[in-house]
Amino acid sequence: MESSYSYTDTNIDKVISKRDLNKMTWRSLFLQASFNYERMQGCGWLYGLIPGLKKIHKNKEDLSNSMSMHMEFFNTHPFLVTFIMGIVIAMEERKESPDTIRAIKVATMGPLGGIGDALFWMTLLPISAGIGASMAMQGNIAGPFVFLIMFNVVHFALRFGLMNYGYNTGVKATESLKTNTQSISRAASILGLTVVGGLIASFINLSTKIVIRTEGNEVILQELLDSQVMPKLLPLAYALLMYRLLKKDFSPVMLIFITVVIGVLGHLIGML
Amino acid sequence: MFLKSLLVAVWAGIAGIDLFDGLTHIHRPVFTGMIVGLILGDLKTGLITGATLEFVWMGAVPLAGAQPPNVVIGGIIGSAFAILTKQDPQVAVGIAVPFAVAVQGAITLIFTIFSPVMHKADKYAQEADTKGIERINYLGMLTLFIFYAIIAFLPIYFGAESAQKVVEIMPAWLIKGLEVAGGMMPAIGFAMLLKIMLKKEYVAFLIVGFILAAYLHLPILAIALVGVSIALYDYFTNKSREGQVIRRGARTDGI
Repeated sequence: MESSYSYTDTNIDKVISKRDLNKMTWRSLFLQASFNYERMQGCGWLYGLIPGLKKIHKNKEDLSNSMSMHMEFFNTHPFLVTFIMGIVIAMEERKESPDTIRAIKVATMGPLGGIGDALFWMTLLPISAGIGASMAMQGNIAGPFVFLIMFNVVHFALRFGLMNYGYNTGVKATESLKTNTQSISRAASILGLTVVGGLIASFINLSTKIVIRTEGNEVILQELLDSQVMPKLLPLAYALLMYRLLKKDFSPVMLIFITVVIGVLGHLIGML
Repeated sequence: MFLKSLLVAVWAGIAGIDLFDGLTHIHRPVFTGMIVGLILGDLKTGLITGATLEFVWMGAVPLAGAQPPNVVIGGIIGSAFAILTKQDPQVAVGIAVPFAVAVQGAITLIFTIFSPVMHKADKYAQEADTKGIERINYLGMLTLFIFYAIIAFLPIYFGAESAQKVVEIMPAWLIKGLEVAGGMMPAIGFAMLLKIMLKKEYVAFLIVGFILAAYLHLPILAIALVGVSIALYDYFTNKSREGQVIRRGARTDGI
């Protein structure tokens, strides 16, 4: 995928209606239907986009190209995903190159994860569940329903609102940037890879439990690594190892198997 | 008892899907406790146990994608046991948590087993077969439904004590080891992105992003904003350079 190929049919028609956006919003509820360690939400993400992609790409070759790109690894916060869907559908409608679209997907999925955690898991859920559960604790049957209503009013308002907001943002952004696709693709890749660098340090959990004992001295290896060598060295090393193995044509399934074995054995002998 | 166990199992299947898909949060203990109470004929105990378990799971949410002990099975098994064994809600917590930890280990296995299915999905994508992609997603949800239904049915039908014995058979090192492996899994996804996106000229930005998170502990949003700044700078530098080339070209034409 070195070259930035684009679609054979580059006619730009406005085909996405408000109804299509709503349809895709409903389908976004199934983002994690086929969740797995290889692509995470990739296949569920594609499921959500299908109605839009079918309308935009009328010839089979373009649809196949677009679908293949959207099958790649994808993982974001399941509540805020419609924002990215809106942007991406606007870009697909404008026939932006798959490379640019991929870079935007990758650059937005990480930050949304952090925002979603703060908004839903740390704010909305504790508040609504706290109120509902304290009512239920008294034997009040309204408690569970108060919880559900409070939670879902915010949930669905955001889900539908963000789809429209994302789409409008995407339309405006692509109109003003249409001039130079090569530079945009490059800039998007820079942004995407900066984020991936941050993701590697933030979301891979790997640390060692090895303690080195020498003449009454105890050295906790992980502390030594963090303070004297480099923080997050092990997550970085493991990501780079996986990258090397992928380049050597190891399949992702093989890598998942290797990871399970290393995790279980490493824990068993007290290393991890 | 068979019919009641079956109803709880169906509810567990639905709630299990909702934990990942739908996300209406009918799967939280405060709601499932009430439903289980309704099915087993003791609404009040169900409500109170559900609420107790809700507070236990309050902080246990999938922050940054790390999966906590399974809240669906914890809530359902916990409230069912409190009702069936007439125990205090606090005791139900003691039964529910180890169960929920074991189930989360099993979920790790489902996510692993479902990975090879993605190659079938790749083929469907290549053939632009949208129906095929849809089938795979429905299959994923069906798998979750069956899994949760079975897990909820067996201990309720066969009784609390025998179920606890089964959990004790599954050794702690295996459960903990699977958790360790689950923490390492994102490395594979990131490596796949790198394989597609990384070129020599972009390595510098990967390093910048890593440093910002590892040394400076910046949140991902801040790192993305730094990425946006670099990208904007790069974009406009390129653009003005092209502009100069064009202008110079125009001048030579003039002469």
